[in-house]
Amino acid sequence: MAKYAGVEINPVTFKSLFTSKGMYIAYVFLFFAIIGMVDVFYERYFIPSATAFDAGLNPASREVAEAMKAAVFGDGGEVKREAPWSLYIVNYMYMLYVGSGIIFIVAFAELFSITLIKKTAAGFLTLGLAMIIAGLFTILMDLNILHLKSMFFSPRFTSGMWLMLPLYIIYIPLIIFKIYLILSDNKTWGKHIAIFILLLSILVEVVEFYIQAKLFNMNEARNLWTTYPFLTLYFMVSSFAASAAVMVLYTYLTYRNTDRSKCSDLMSLIQKVTLYGVIALGIYEATAYLFIDKRWAEIILFGDFKFYFYLYLTLAVGIPFILLFQSFIHNKYKIVASVCIIFGTYLGKLIFVYGGNAYPMSDRFGVGFEKYGEYRPVRDVIFFMPSWGEIAIAIGSIGVIILVYRLINAYFSVSKMREY
Amino acid sequence: MNFAMALDYQSCIDCKACEVACKEENGVQLGADKQRIWVSQSEKSIFGEPFVALHPSQCNHCQDAPCVDVCPTGSSYFALGGIVMTNKDTCILCKGCMEACPYDARFVDDTHVAVDKCTFCYDTRIVNGEMTTACQATCPTKVRLFGDLDDEEGELIQMLNKRKFYVLKEDEGTVPKLFYMLPEHDKNYAMNSVDPDTNIYTWDEFKPIIEMAKAKRKPQWQNMQE
Repeated sequence: MAKYAGVEINPVTFKSLFTSKGMYIAYVFLFFAIIGMVDVFYERYFIPSATAFDAGLNPASREVAEAMKAAVFGDGGEVKREAPWSLYIVNYMYMLYVGSGIIFIVAFAELFSITLIKKTAAGFLTLGLAMIIAGLFTILMDLNILHLKSMFFSPRFTSGMWLMLPLYIIYIPLIIFKIYLILSDNKTWGKHIAIFILLLSILVEVVEFYIQAKLFNMNEARNLWTTYPFLTLYFMVSSFAASAAVMVLYTYLTYRNTDRSKCSDLMSLIQKVTLYGVIALGIYEATAYLFIDKRWAEIILFGDFKFYFYLYLTLAVGIPFILLFQSFIHNKYKIVASVCIIFGTYLGKLIFVYGGNAYPMSDRFGVGFEKYGEYRPVRDVIFFMPSWGEIAIAIGSIGVIILVYRLINAYFSVSKMREY
Repeated sequence: MNFAMALDYQSCIDCKACEVACKEENGVQLGADKQRIWVSQSEKSIFGEPFVALHPSQCNHCQDAPCVDVCPTGSSYFALGGIVMTNKDTCILCKGCMEACPYDARFVDDTHVAVDKCTFCYDTRIVNGEMTTACQATCPTKVRLFGDLDDEEGELIQMLNKRKFYVLKEDEGTVPKLFYMLPEHDKNYAMNSVDPDTNIYTWDEFKPIIEMAKAKRKPQWQNMQE
């Protein structure tokens, strides 16, 4: 075992690293990611498209002829009016918020010296980091990567989207440094700056949720987003419930065979955190719609989104509350509750993003626009099917989580319970 | 200068000449979903008698445009005269501007992999000193009238002084600069296609709203990005 900068590094062969069972699961998901990237990049960069200039200057060109055919009979390019880009937003929101939520919960547990969480902090932080990287992977796939240099060369500092850049440039190294401090044997030094790093990371977390809320709040046309009360709080509350659920699932998968009693204790501890998260989410949802623009509230609560909304409440709040409210329940029920929360909160984000995006989209080419009111929906633009490329990338991002986590774990054994 | 456009929309005959002229002159991507300007239709009836209302539209070049604020790279910006422009070379396709726009006026130009929208022909005509847009120049029934809101003697202000108008989605607070003119005659008929909650303005009533938003945004006006 080698040791660098106070951290033990496991000698791992490439064969053992890339041929483990966990990696095979990652490959299956990553296969979807690659399929999605090929599909999205092909549509974005390689499908023929033409302008009126091309048609005039190169009337005999075969490519222009193909492009004109695609313009008439094609499906309208990568971003279509009737099927916009919402799944990307949902996925990166979910990955970033839940990953950040895990890191926030761990930071708080450290602040209150909760031993069990402290012992497993390195693993949880690595999981949070892996989810954040999966979220950033999703964002990257959504953007025109050929122009990304403009984020550095012509920045608009006040836009929510740009503010994410310096945030993650600070945030990710900070998480890595926190993991390093846990793994490092340099305890004295670590002890001195631990509280500073802890408070700084909590501050960065709050700023992160604030910037994410600002990103949505700036879209004045999307009244669902702009009238959500305390949007930063909503993002935090919904993320914490999901983060705690992911932590329960992670604990079970990681420690069930190594240390059963500690695994059970840890699951019971996080069960309480999850329950508080679920209750907070329930209270928020029960009161939020008193403040949300009434016409949007009607759309979500009684309109086309009602089925999805009540399914979300049942999965994210109802079932988990019933299961987790009991003090002593079998681990399998904790797993059921966690899985319900994970799917439920994902659906909640879906409703939030789609609800905001679908309704103001006026139908420019048919009936509807003369009303110029976003509350009279054009039915066929609600709940559109995302493109297969988007779906594949969303599924593939799970592969990114597994890959990042397993790579770090293989070399640094972050999942090992250690004295802090 | 503060450029804007009035639309005598009741005169539109849906010939689509404006859409064609726009595509032809500005090199807009071909495709039905790739339009800088468009004419929407609605079918209604009054006492059982059907009629079709036509609404030509485009980017409203809002005086207080939200699309400019959300752009992370400054690709969406105010050009001189308060025209909202996009620089396709710096657009990262985050689509934030498409979400921020209440008028659904933006689309993805696949030839540049960037967001595109109406420029009021700023780059092809206005910077060369012309005072018409391609869509205005080609319209056989003179639906569109492009002009300068700061020119009290100009044709646009003369028309706005003479006739009442409304703007789209006023509640969003973006202070749009497309003015939908009510006809001089037959106003009651025209009102059938206008929402009863819509504010109908005279220029004297709307001018202070424009001026206030202009004062807020004018420091951001800049020369056209190359």
